[in-house]
Amino acid sequence: MIRRFAQGIAPLLALLLAWQLASASGVFPAQVLVPPSEVAATLARLWQDGELGDHLGTSLFRLVFGFLTGAAIGLAFGAAMALSKLFETLFAPVFQAVRQVPVLAFIPMLVLLLGIEERFKIVVVAVAVFFPVALATFDGVKGIPKAWFEVARLYRTPPLPFITRILLPAAVPPVLTGLRLGLTRGWLVLVACELLAADSGIGQMMEMGRQMFRIDVVLAGVFVSGLVGFGLDRSVKLVERRFARWKEA
Amino acid sequence: MARLNTPAARILLGLVVPVLLLIWWQAQSAQGGARALAFVPLQEVGATLAAQIVSGFLLNDVLSTLSRALTGLLLGGLAGTALGVAMAMWRPLDRVVGPLYHAVRQVPLLGWLPLIGLWVGNGDATKLLVVSLAAFYPTVLNSYEGVAAVERRYVEVGSLFGFSPAQRFSHVLLPAALPLILTGFTQALAFAWIATIGTEILLGAPAGLGATMGVAQAQQRMDVILVAILAAALLGFSINHLFARLRRHLLRWQPVLA
Repeated sequence: MIRRFAQGIAPLLALLLAWQLASASGVFPAQVLVPPSEVAATLARLWQDGELGDHLGTSLFRLVFGFLTGAAIGLAFGAAMALSKLFETLFAPVFQAVRQVPVLAFIPMLVLLLGIEERFKIVVVAVAVFFPVALATFDGVKGIPKAWFEVARLYRTPPLPFITRILLPAAVPPVLTGLRLGLTRGWLVLVACELLAADSGIGQMMEMGRQMFRIDVVLAGVFVSGLVGFGLDRSVKLVERRFARWKEA
Repeated sequence: MARLNTPAARILLGLVVPVLLLIWWQAQSAQGGARALAFVPLQEVGATLAAQIVSGFLLNDVLSTLSRALTGLLLGGLAGTALGVAMAMWRPLDRVVGPLYHAVRQVPLLGWLPLIGLWVGNGDATKLLVVSLAAFYPTVLNSYEGVAAVERRYVEVGSLFGFSPAQRFSHVLLPAALPLILTGFTQALAFAWIATIGTEILLGAPAGLGATMGVAQAQQRMDVILVAILAAALLGFSINHLFARLRRHLLRWQPVLA
């Protein structure tokens, strides 16, 4: 375990070292390449100022709110489509058609409908999260073998245990994969929105850094947004493993 | 509920929601005032669509976006496949590049835009680089998995015949890994498409569906935005469909999995 970790971290350290040496050699002007030590110093300064904390807090707030909204609607919609033939016939065509739109293409339309305030960012994240979650929930619930429903009916399983003991455990693993996909997409779209129009957030911090030719601030933003992406992905994966345990047995 | 199973009933029911949505939209646009700005009457959207088709404006946009996406897909996809195959065939490379790849991949794609913008400006090169990067990630992953999963027996038969590394690649590894490599390209296509529209919206361009949307947003022209969205959706759907057919054609030698 420790050896694998060391093997993984060594190339990253080598890259940082090469980068530090390259910027110390003076071949590149400071607007093009700043040493990692300076990026680290900028990160520390932004953190102590509370500036980074503010940006990060705003971004995460938007992400969490948008994610919860989009995921809740996606779960309900996907489950309804899988369980009711009528609902599926009514809504599947619209769903499949709208799903073809690349999610970033909704941004200009939503700006016109909602303006560029907080509401807009949360809705964009929610839309980005909704589609993968709805699709995964639909597939997850549809994928439950018919026989399980029949057995439950045969044993006259009451609705509540039927949902908690049969439906949920069977549908949760694919749904979690959908949630993870939605979270990654939501983060991608949120950063894009903040680059486009925002007064705060990690994306806006990077965009400001670009406009002021502060490559250290931009790199600090790249680092933090990568760290957030990694943390989100990793935490849902941990939950996924926890819920997939029954399958291995 | 048996009546739901006839195709005619299904199509009719499937039309209910879209038609209601359109009626609702039209009613909103009739309210006038600030609402009419966002909810453009449908006949106006239709008129804009017709005008853009006649003037060739839409075609020009479509071709620009398409060529950007496909160039990026080709560049990023080929580079990604080459790297993935090389990493799977040669362990030391995997040890060195693997961790870097996984670290870089964590950054949300468009988060690279300000940095690349500082380095190479906000022109076409930046857009192409980001689109290529979008195609690069999934192709590395899938071609790596594809080659790594090739059965040892096949490789051993190859070495019995005294294959050179090049022969081993073209006669053994490539055909066996092709399904996953193509899966990588399918995913890359979707990401490259999104990245193209996204970079066009964020950076602007002389022509392109995303660029037109960006300009239309500033001019508050919802009709233009809707036409561009419609085109983007139709185009995305068609190229995905074409690609799926191409994939089936390339893999026609494979036994169909149940």
